[in-house]
Amino acid sequence: MSLPPPIKKKLGRIFEPKSISFSKEDLLCYSYDATGESHLPDVVVFPTTAEEISLTLKLANESGFPVIPRGGGSGFTGGTLPVSGGVVISTQRMTSISIDQENLVADVGSGLLTGDLQDEVEELGLFYPPDPTSVKFSTIGGNIAENAGGPRAVKYGTTRDYVLGLEVVLPNGDIVRTGVKTAKGVVGYDLTRLLVGSEGTLGIITKAFLRLIPKPKEKALMYAVFGDLASAADVVSTIIREKITPSTLEFIDGASIRCAEEYVSTGIKSGAEAVLLIETDGTLKSVEDSTALIKKICQENKVLEFRVAKDKKEIKDLWKLRKNLSPALYKIKPTKINEDIVVPRSMLTSLVTGVQEIAEARGVLIVSFGHAGDGNIHVNVMIDKDDPDEAKRGAEAVSDVFDLTLSLGGTISGEHGVGVTKAPYLSRELSSSLLSVMRGIKDVLDPKGILNPGKIFLSPSNKEN
Amino acid sequence: MENFKKLLDEAKKCVRCGICNSVCPTYNVLRKESVGPRGRVALIRERATTGDGAGFGKEFAIDLKACTLCGSCLGSCPRDVDVPKLILGARTAVVESEGLSVGAGLVFKNFLAPGKLAGLALKTASRLKRLLLKSSVGENGLLRRFSLPIIGKGRLVPNLADIFFLDRPEVKKLARVEAKEGRPRIGFFAGCGINYLMPEVGVATIKAVTDLGADLIIPSKQVCCGMPALSAGDRKTAKELAIKNLNAFEDEDLDYITTSCATCSNALKSVFLELLGDDPEHQERVQRFTSKVRDVTELLANELSYKDKGDKKEGLVTWHDPCHLSRYQGVREEPRELILKSGYAFKGMKNPCKCCGLGGGLVFSDYELSIEVTKKKAQNILSTKASIVATACPGCIVQLRDALHRYTPKDELIPKVVHVLELL
Repeated sequence: MSLPPPIKKKLGRIFEPKSISFSKEDLLCYSYDATGESHLPDVVVFPTTAEEISLTLKLANESGFPVIPRGGGSGFTGGTLPVSGGVVISTQRMTSISIDQENLVADVGSGLLTGDLQDEVEELGLFYPPDPTSVKFSTIGGNIAENAGGPRAVKYGTTRDYVLGLEVVLPNGDIVRTGVKTAKGVVGYDLTRLLVGSEGTLGIITKAFLRLIPKPKEKALMYAVFGDLASAADVVSTIIREKITPSTLEFIDGASIRCAEEYVSTGIKSGAEAVLLIETDGTLKSVEDSTALIKKICQENKVLEFRVAKDKKEIKDLWKLRKNLSPALYKIKPTKINEDIVVPRSMLTSLVTGVQEIAEARGVLIVSFGHAGDGNIHVNVMIDKDDPDEAKRGAEAVSDVFDLTLSLGGTISGEHGVGVTKAPYLSRELSSSLLSVMRGIKDVLDPKGILNPGKIFLSPSNKEN
Repeated sequence: MENFKKLLDEAKKCVRCGICNSVCPTYNVLRKESVGPRGRVALIRERATTGDGAGFGKEFAIDLKACTLCGSCLGSCPRDVDVPKLILGARTAVVESEGLSVGAGLVFKNFLAPGKLAGLALKTASRLKRLLLKSSVGENGLLRRFSLPIIGKGRLVPNLADIFFLDRPEVKKLARVEAKEGRPRIGFFAGCGINYLMPEVGVATIKAVTDLGADLIIPSKQVCCGMPALSAGDRKTAKELAIKNLNAFEDEDLDYITTSCATCSNALKSVFLELLGDDPEHQERVQRFTSKVRDVTELLANELSYKDKGDKKEGLVTWHDPCHLSRYQGVREEPRELILKSGYAFKGMKNPCKCCGLGGGLVFSDYELSIEVTKKKAQNILSTKASIVATACPGCIVQLRDALHRYTPKDELIPKVVHVLELL
């Protein structure tokens, strides 16, 4: 569907010339995200106010065209893809920020980069913990819409735990404020919580009121190498059982280590089947205590090598080791299908060994690494998507991984959302009555289905999903 | 079309993760995908795949021009997509299919070769400049006297030298220098910035090098390094200029070739090799030439072992890393070492590697965007409270002077911008 000229003209009256584009170049640039799929929109707009978005949504309801909100465009599940054309709303110019140091609340525009928010608050000795890997190039609005997590989730939770309230433009164009700017609040349904993770299908976030906490004074990073997976998994469970809460607890599996080692010099001991990167933060005393305890736990579990980073440089080098994984993987295969499944922490070993069995059965390479502390493991199926046979086997492997995850009591997405890519699997996790409640909510708020159609649910017409 | 097709494999490597946008100076100002690396690569890929069927208009060329070629994106990319190379390739492909604008063609071919017609025009301009422009505070540059269409209000334009560097008698004398026992022979490549705008940097180079017991030879037939032409997509002219420069330095039996402009040293070191390395006629010559090239900061710190003289000087200095020096050549430590040994106090700025905003021709194609890019840089400089900013590229110097003149609060002193050699 392409927008008829009178509608384009009406849109042109809402926006200043520099805030709207119909050029083929701009349309192409807003046709994609990090999934590798591409669908051209009809128009791209760059609003700076909620009112402009409101007028656009009102027009969309009158004329029936799709509206797709977009932050940094770094999503892995296609949440910002204009799958049926329409108007892409880029929030990236809504970057206001004000920090209330007395109430520890940040009032920010949804287009602000999360990394920019963190830099600002940390200069004041404050802390906004959610740290998705895309923190430097994804927006607060996008993080909220997808309920982004990250390595620190094991201690600090995910984006949802820091959203006190939102300014949102509802699909009918109404501008509302949900939630509170206070530490507590129970008046009415918790629509804030509903909007967090709603993937831009229930409203367009224009502002967020975020909870800040004091920045921990000290931290320490530990590096532990294990010769078998079970020992690493035991360390993870013991750390949690001993009631230590590390601020990150990252895991890299043997397959990843071997792949990376072929292309970059990782310096990881040979024979390693698992690496843990463990960080603790807090006061000097608490950091020292938990570091000593974690060291002891590692030593009791056949650790091959254990190190505490001495200085900033070593911390940087250790994280580099984790970050170098992705580039190394691309040297093996050009396409990475990154699935962010979560299992209960106690199921880590079953998951990782099960994934390797799937990899062998389907004849594809699968490597796993990620946030062991909260059971959120990134399972990466490496394929060449231009090879139809391998692409097919890759897709089958993904399907198997989801089945395995669900059989272990997990969920198919911990932080990327459903979007387009996971929509076909939604009914494996959610019962039909839950799905119909969710569809009902969507219908109440967006009866004409104009806001980000084709996401989460397979398609508006396909109800048996 | 063929020229675009060559770019397809590189463009296809991009997995569109978006990490590059976060480090791109122009993207962060305009917040628009088409002026970020990911968008530019997507555009080039589409153009290479579908040819004229891409349906692009004039925006495509504008988006390609709105890049400083700073190279930050390359450093951030998990797939090592060489975005600057893609952009240069696409600019070249546009020029080869649509031709260069007449004005740009004239500049690249004539202005940048001393003694030619345009050299004369520049000399005339140098004489007339006081009619239209007045000195700014501190003689850092010139401001317009009247409303001039090409020079916006408040824009500080660099002062055209009264006598160009290569025309000075003391420089002409160094065109030929007898070989002397025990004195290394170093060829000096002046470059347009130093020749036309900042002869004082050339003079400081002569002094610094000769003080360290080496001889400087300044061949008179040298011409522009070719980077402005190449950046605009005029590869043919860039190649011609490279060959002229090879000829100019060939007969001098030099130990090293140096220049005090980071853009030129990168061109002489790497771009020449890229342009002529596959050409059987020049291959051997260009390899010999490029292997001798050192940026002047490397030459002084390493080959000529500049020593701390132990004197203390007044003033706090901060350092700006030119893209062509730090990212393209990996030279970061040497200039800092020179500052520390110069006797000045040193304070590093936040994000010293961030692009000044001038490069890649952006200052000419979109001045407003260019100077907006420099804003953050100016703020980072001002928050060090340094009274002097040192760098090693005349282009950066011009841009930083303009930006500091614009962005320094009225009640504060505008920091001086100098070449690091001027501190020694």
